[in-house]
Amino acid sequence: MTLRERLAAWGLLLGGALAAWTLAAAALPVPAYVLPSPAAVLQALGDLVTKGILPFYVLASLRRLVTAALVAAAVGVPLGLLLGMSRRVAEFVHPVLNFFQSVSGIAWLPLMLVWFGFGERTILVAINYTVLFPVVFNALLGVRSVPPLYASALRTLGASRWRIARDVLIPGALPNIATGLRLGLAYGWRALIAAEMLVGAHGLGFMIFSAQSFHLTARIVLGMSVIGALWVLLDYFVLRPLEEATIARWGLVQR
Amino acid sequence: MRARLAPAARGALPFAALVAAWAAVSRAGVLPAIFLPSPGEVAATAAALLRDGSLWVDIGASLGRMLVGIAASVPCAVGLGVVVGLHRRLAAVLEPVAGFFNALSGIAWLPLAVTWFGLGWASVTFIMFNTIFFLVFFNTLAGVRAVPRLFEQAVRTLGGGRRHVILQVLIPGAMPNIVTGIRLSIGFGWRALIAAEMIATSTGLGFLIFNAQNFHQTDTILVGIITIGALWLLTDRFLLQPLERWTVERWGLVAP
Repeated sequence: MTLRERLAAWGLLLGGALAAWTLAAAALPVPAYVLPSPAAVLQALGDLVTKGILPFYVLASLRRLVTAALVAAAVGVPLGLLLGMSRRVAEFVHPVLNFFQSVSGIAWLPLMLVWFGFGERTILVAINYTVLFPVVFNALLGVRSVPPLYASALRTLGASRWRIARDVLIPGALPNIATGLRLGLAYGWRALIAAEMLVGAHGLGFMIFSAQSFHLTARIVLGMSVIGALWVLLDYFVLRPLEEATIARWGLVQR
Repeated sequence: MRARLAPAARGALPFAALVAAWAAVSRAGVLPAIFLPSPGEVAATAAALLRDGSLWVDIGASLGRMLVGIAASVPCAVGLGVVVGLHRRLAAVLEPVAGFFNALSGIAWLPLAVTWFGLGWASVTFIMFNTIFFLVFFNTLAGVRAVPRLFEQAVRTLGGGRRHVILQVLIPGAMPNIVTGIRLSIGFGWRALIAAEMIATSTGLGFLIFNAQNFHQTDTILVGIITIGALWLLTDRFLLQPLERWTVERWGLVAP
């Protein structure tokens, strides 16, 4: 199927869905707040953009996500690499990291609220926590998954520990690191939306949650579309190419 | 010496070290007890909550919602994923659509769910359904599409009909992806459930910890967090990982 055919099919699908939605909103005997029409959602979009609320919330949410990504890359990756360098250390911290990775940041949120109060700091801690652990965990797994044969080969040739780390272990771990970043950010994006809802600071999660209290359903649907679209764009144009490029360049095929 | 330790003991050792560090920090009095209760206090709270049965009720509520969510969504998702996957053109069009809804998984559905269903189990089930359904659907679709056409052609050459191709090539070939999708979706679903319970219900582990936060009961919060983590680790380790490994061994494909 060519790209043009596919675009046509998507256009048709989107048009059909919008038509069915408009029809349902007009014909069903339910109040507008239960099922807002596409026109109402578009109106909410225009309204929130001209007032500057939507761009402000989008930037607030994205800024938090990017901060967490940078912290994870700057702190989580070196930490995971370092812990993975020694087999004994890696075996020791593995179950603990796995535990912290699987307790989502949202589960810690009540404790963080007690510690840091309702505000920006709690949100930042929650999202950084959620992104950091999968990154550390996967960096560690990455180092450990490099076949020992390669390190042995270099050692036979007289390489130092540092040389082995630089030329074998770190490049070998890169595909896992890319996967960890993608997974961590996927969990982080959802945790961020939930944290913004519960903490009540500005951001897309807050936007859809507060709209619910006022029955502004068009605003909820708009917010959900933006949340979904932002993630799809980020995943398709940044994270996935990054992961694929890393695997193509440094991925190991074991023979 | 260490090599002789049983695997279970080796797994428990790091946690023992963690608890020891925690005990040392809380004994040193760096943080007030209301911020960080000692492991002893948390254990006492856990024992009390277990004795009066309330922790069991919350665990039961959370696991029950999880099971309802899985039972409602996984069969639909696998069925629909296989049917759509059979039609290659349709699948190429619908895959990105499923990807979009995937991105929306979990808690983003909550405001709409509360508007439509009010607070309660219907909202939670709606959120869980959407979270699990799209992830499993997406992975099933990808799995069916990833089966090399060579196998399909081989069966056809040997005189196999469409039924043979579906039952003996496409579904078994997609099994590893389907099971990976289920495992992934349960991970995302568990996280979404905890968040949803905080807002939309008055039972369950999510509610337990969020409600305790209102009263600054950090010991109860920690009991809840540890229970949430432990339940997930046990489910993953003893149910999902073996299931995934077994499926890959049984049906995994090595592309020619």
